[in-house]
Amino acid sequence: MLSRGAAALLLMTPTILSGSSSLLIVAPAAPGGGWDQTARVMQRALAEVEPGLTVQVDNVPGAAGTIGLARFVQSERGNPDALLVTGLVMVSGVITNGSPVSLADATPIARLTGESEVIVVPAASPYRSMQELAAAFQTDPGTISWGGGSAGGTDDLLVRLMAEQLGLPASRVNYIAFAGGGAALAAVLGGQVTAAVSGYFEFAGQIAAGQLRPLAISSPERVEGIDAPTLRETGIALDLANWRAVVGPPGLSDAERDALTTRVTNMAQSATWKMTLAQNGWEDRFLAGAGFRQFLFAEQARIAAVLERLAASDSAQPAGGAASLSPHTLPRVMAVVFGGVLIAFGVARIRTQPSAFGLQPSEIRHHRSVAILGGALLVQPLIFSTIGFVLSSTFVFAVAGHALRGRGWRRAATLKDLTIGLAFSWLLYLVFSTGLGVSLPALPLLTSSFSLPTFDF
Amino acid sequence: MNDLWHGFEVALQPINLMWGMAGVTLGTAVGVLPGIGPALTVALLLPVTYGLDPTAALIMFAGIYYGAMYGGSTTSILLNTPGESATIVTAIDGHQMARNGRAGAALATSAVGSFVAGTLSTIALSLTAPLMVRMALAFGSAEYFALMVLAFVTVTTVIGGSSLGGWVSLLLGLVLGSVGIDALSGQARFTFGVPYLLDGIDPVIVAIGLFAIGETLWVAGRGPAHEDMLPVRGSLWMTREEWARSWKPWLRGSAIGFPMGALPAGGAELPTLMSYAIEKRLARRPDEFGHGAIEGVAGPEAANNASAAGTLVPLLTLGLPTSATAAVLLAAFQQFGLQPGPLLFEHEPALVWGVIASLYLGNVMLLVLNLPLVGLWVKLLSIPRPWLYGGILVVASLGAFSVHRSAGDLVLVALIGGIGYGLRRVDAPVAPVIIGLILGPAAEQHLRRALSISQGDWTPFVTRPLAATLLAIAVAILLWAPVRRRWRG
Repeated sequence: MLSRGAAALLLMTPTILSGSSSLLIVAPAAPGGGWDQTARVMQRALAEVEPGLTVQVDNVPGAAGTIGLARFVQSERGNPDALLVTGLVMVSGVITNGSPVSLADATPIARLTGESEVIVVPAASPYRSMQELAAAFQTDPGTISWGGGSAGGTDDLLVRLMAEQLGLPASRVNYIAFAGGGAALAAVLGGQVTAAVSGYFEFAGQIAAGQLRPLAISSPERVEGIDAPTLRETGIALDLANWRAVVGPPGLSDAERDALTTRVTNMAQSATWKMTLAQNGWEDRFLAGAGFRQFLFAEQARIAAVLERLAASDSAQPAGGAASLSPHTLPRVMAVVFGGVLIAFGVARIRTQPSAFGLQPSEIRHHRSVAILGGALLVQPLIFSTIGFVLSSTFVFAVAGHALRGRGWRRAATLKDLTIGLAFSWLLYLVFSTGLGVSLPALPLLTSSFSLPTFDF
Repeated sequence: MNDLWHGFEVALQPINLMWGMAGVTLGTAVGVLPGIGPALTVALLLPVTYGLDPTAALIMFAGIYYGAMYGGSTTSILLNTPGESATIVTAIDGHQMARNGRAGAALATSAVGSFVAGTLSTIALSLTAPLMVRMALAFGSAEYFALMVLAFVTVTTVIGGSSLGGWVSLLLGLVLGSVGIDALSGQARFTFGVPYLLDGIDPVIVAIGLFAIGETLWVAGRGPAHEDMLPVRGSLWMTREEWARSWKPWLRGSAIGFPMGALPAGGAELPTLMSYAIEKRLARRPDEFGHGAIEGVAGPEAANNASAAGTLVPLLTLGLPTSATAAVLLAAFQQFGLQPGPLLFEHEPALVWGVIASLYLGNVMLLVLNLPLVGLWVKLLSIPRPWLYGGILVVASLGAFSVHRSAGDLVLVALIGGIGYGLRRVDAPVAPVIIGLILGPAAEQHLRRALSISQGDWTPFVTRPLAATLLAIAVAILLWAPVRRRWRG
């Protein structure tokens, strides 16, 4: 049984063993999302186009991809074998999060895919067409609740752009953000929201089964196989696609940039890539070179303008009941209540055990051990990146051994701790780094191929 | 029934059996390792399985998912270090059992309980999936909010320590939970201009800090004289009395876990907590809870596995992922050109029923795999204490680092370890911090979503029958606790 487990582990490591050349693809999101899927499909397609190439996918999730972007721009500067997956959501994330690093700091390579958005209502909804829904929306914006993905994402942008086209300030939209389009699906199926907005593919199953009615899609022209008019046909002059693209790190020469573009172009023409596009419902929107650079600038300007207008009109009365609870109400209430309870708790303990300020003096006798161990744990992050996982872990292991033994300094015992700690850390390093593909900062002298982690403070 | 029969024919093919076996073995391994969850494992395997038959690949992925649920409790019980949020509740009494020399029994009740719950809820999945979906869709934001209020009240009144200490911990969790970008408005809160905090504080980091690091500091502070980890006392396996005390919690845990897992905003934290609360209420000696009551391990572990099966209901019937692992499984379906949803059962019956049948087989394999491991795991406890805790710290920092691959997380985990030590010193329970951290933001979002949908009107919380009932129960528990305390003493 164990040997089968080992076999399965080995399945994961085909990339480690081979390899003259290598390529790093950073997916600035958690496993499972659109950016991650794009990176992993690319990994597969590139391996077929360039046999012998080692492609490593690295997930750096967080803050609409801006954490991944910042780290990519810092640590991969000048690396001609690195790509970052990006898209519309990152363009708006950079603006709303006030990120100091933007896509202008990276080298544009190519746009790959696009996904049209669809506006749906449940089958039992009274709204039979986009025009009817739009009319009701114009009359009383608050009564129409729109479900979709996270605030500032593609779904949110589309609804606010539609509102502007219909002559309503973007802030009067009663938009209800869910954790991803999938969660909005349950809300619209259960009739909790009036309408929902998401990428077409997320609702495709329910539309085919007749549980959801598509009212309009956000593509410029009709899409084959989708029985819904475009927004433009319904009188809303607007198109929007959730596009995904790849960019390279800053500091590449023109030749290096062109080489990277050629690689991605070859990948995008492979049979594997085209087949996966069809399976995932992604539209092929390949665009490389100067065309993509222009597109990226135009898109950045358009999104920035919408978000600016939205921020400007934010002082106007927002729609719906969100007004009664601002995003800051509950956290502040919680912080105040927490402070109150903490004081009450402290007073109660001091009253019952006045001599020790509420602590339990009889049990705790080894303050020094706690202090040493706590100190070592705070030192570890500082040395983690420079001396690597194995050595810093050996250090923590030895300090823990010393602190827990609690009988003062003994050289023999510490030497033993160091040996066992080193062996244990090395074993863990091998299992995680080689076996499971989690890149850890290694010993600095042994390898420099792994990118060192950077502090995100 | 006929469909399920065909499913068994698919799942029993030797090649599919082999993939299932590989999946459950790998799943058990990643369940035991902190920081490496089933979601990451399946994502890593996705590109490798592209050439496989979809049925074989999905059988393996389902095995990984189930296996991780079995393996996750091991570190909670032995080392008081939950690898994922679903096994936090298990750590409360499971680790106390280990200290009393009953680690073997705790691991065994969790393995057998997982088997019972896994099998029962797979049966429920085969029979009632369409019905469950209809029920789950009736749950709107108002109902979720009411359910979470009930959970908060339960946490503070049920989990040990003084109840004021429970509130301190819960509120700390709620405050920590509101750090980061607000999901509804996109505004940053309590981030003090630090980009690192924009994404909030990860529950796994907090769990590792509070439990693994806090515990190690606490043990160091008490000094070497306190030899509190007992070697195995009595039988390695469960005694007759322990069997008698376990079987009812297994059944109740399954009954709680499956429907709660099927809710579109599910997750395993609520059902495990609810199961613990109910077991404590029903126990003949509730004062034993927090000091190693086997019911407190058997119930939540069963609820955890049952909710894992429940998660598959919205995934298969709606194409709706309700956990990180389910989201990756959805991506796996899509990789093979399959769209989970209402038409999947019609279009791909052999595949769907084959995967469901493989879950029955996977549960049997996992029981056979995990029971012999109990003896091996218990031996870990005989490692000398300085090395055992040194190893815990190294594994903990590795787990914390692998979440985001950021050295900043190591600073955070050390600071939270300090908080965990402080809470232990003032005799406040640590588990409510994590419950607050996970459920707090969800509760707030549901409250604001409900108000947004009703345009600022609070009456739905009273007029919607399900929401009103849940809130009434919460108020009753809140008022009853002090009354009973005065009455007793």
